[in-house]
Amino acid sequence: MTTSAYAIEGIDMTRRFGGFAALDGVSLAVPHGEIRGLIGPNGAGKSTLMDVLTGRAQTWSGRVLMDGRDISGLGAVERRRAGLARSFQRTNIFPDLTIDEQIRLAAATAERDNSDEVMAELGLADLAHRRAADVSYGDQRRLDLALALVGRPRVLLLDEPAAGLSMQESMVLAGILRDLAGRWGVTVLLVEHDMEVIFSICSRVTVLHLGKILADGTPDEIRRIPEVVTAYLGSSVE
Amino acid sequence: MTDIAAAPSRSRNVGFPAVLAVLGAAGCALPFLVQSPLLLTLMTQATINAVLATGVGFLLRQNGTVSFGHAAFFGLAAYATALLIKFGLPAELAIVLAVVLPTLLALLLGVVIVRITGVAFSMLTLAVAQAFHELFLKWRELANGDDGMAIAFPAKVFGLDIAIFQQPASMFLVCWLALVGVILGLWLLARSRFGTLTLAIRENEERARYIGYRTVLPRAIIYAISAAVCALGGLLFALYNGFVSPGTLHWSLSGEALIMAIIGGPRLIWGPALGGVIFFFIKNAAGDFTDHWPAVIGITLILVTVLLPRGVGGLLVWLGRRAGGGRGE
Repeated sequence: MTTSAYAIEGIDMTRRFGGFAALDGVSLAVPHGEIRGLIGPNGAGKSTLMDVLTGRAQTWSGRVLMDGRDISGLGAVERRRAGLARSFQRTNIFPDLTIDEQIRLAAATAERDNSDEVMAELGLADLAHRRAADVSYGDQRRLDLALALVGRPRVLLLDEPAAGLSMQESMVLAGILRDLAGRWGVTVLLVEHDMEVIFSICSRVTVLHLGKILADGTPDEIRRIPEVVTAYLGSSVE
Repeated sequence: MTDIAAAPSRSRNVGFPAVLAVLGAAGCALPFLVQSPLLLTLMTQATINAVLATGVGFLLRQNGTVSFGHAAFFGLAAYATALLIKFGLPAELAIVLAVVLPTLLALLLGVVIVRITGVAFSMLTLAVAQAFHELFLKWRELANGDDGMAIAFPAKVFGLDIAIFQQPASMFLVCWLALVGVILGLWLLARSRFGTLTLAIRENEERARYIGYRTVLPRAIIYAISAAVCALGGLLFALYNGFVSPGTLHWSLSGEALIMAIIGGPRLIWGPALGGVIFFFIKNAAGDFTDHWPAVIGITLILVTVLLPRGVGGLLVWLGRRAGGGRGE
């Protein structure tokens, strides 16, 4: 049962590496069902923020709430079982297992097994019995996403899911994400460098820069903020 | 180091039990065909070696970790049999506990040491095993130290004459059936969801956590299962020889088991058993000609590692698939 307006909240999150603050007092709250974009230049702290939210980071300060429940003390396994799933910047799969084996393995820890649905939605059904190591890079990226999506998590954190994909593949992926998030009511926090993907599916965008939030707003608002254009978007976005 | 079993080719072929049944039956016929007591003795010892190697190979296959200490579970089972009977327990109970106790010890130990990976894990297994070796070597009052101890089996065990376990023809049958049972059990385990999970953890432990699995206990369970198989080998050794010495705990036996597994092919459940048999017969054949038989084993290991990275078992699978019209891959 929902007890908070926000599916996922990070409050005053700080993570330091020696004297360098990769994340410096960042607070972020994503309402239920929203697809939130998280953008920023390399080194802005996007992946660090993902690590803090999902329990991958070992030493950090602040709090993480899911549906209003403090999950700061939970490890990655407990957070996943609570409905918080993630994909990774680098393809992070089980190369020697078949696609079917690993998706069903992931589904076994969830309340509902929607392996067949996920494989069908992501176009993996025909590859189900092939070893993950033997399929194309694009298929492996979709498998990485499938491992996060299976079991219908309540919150999905995606770290550059379109990295390495062609523009056409990226837009197909964006369409799938928008469709699934809408139908399943999944809250998505999406880190992505591909602005076409971000601006086409995100209802709000948060911009990180040097470990702090530089801006937050709708895609149209973000496009018009001079500091964001200077720090990240440059002239690539009309 | 763990690349030796980097991509275990899981046996998905449901015909495997049928093949195993045929081989099992064929093996059972051997004592009736082989007349030489010496050869039967060698076959029995080779089969015990094969059980030990199967345990070490299973750990390498499922967890991707190299143990230099699994002789500890082999030796502890043999010593447990001897000591529990010495302390007055019924032989049947002692035999059961001889496998159960090392397995429980391995589970407890595993929960701690499987958190360590790579060379550090291997060194830790070596250290633990050598600690047990030193214990039984130095504690003369308990187990006669370096002299070892005879095991005072009663005349009958489980209603069977003890001679059944100590005569090569009948003991070969016992050991062979135990080996076939172990291989079938491990094959079924590897095909189960738990087997898939442990392979997943071995492949990508972090991702396994992020799909919701705790990873330490499954790895510890695999460690304990592999130890149980080695303990079974130790029990068979004790039954057959009626004697146990600290050599059964020594790291060199663990090293030999690892070599057997690599020669046979640790990617296959049955590969290490094949390697155990090959190792034993090379050792004995070379030993007839030279005291430097380890050099022959070493050359064999080099040749297999370089020419047959999937081991002799992998070669047999390849040949079998070619003969069956496949690509041999």
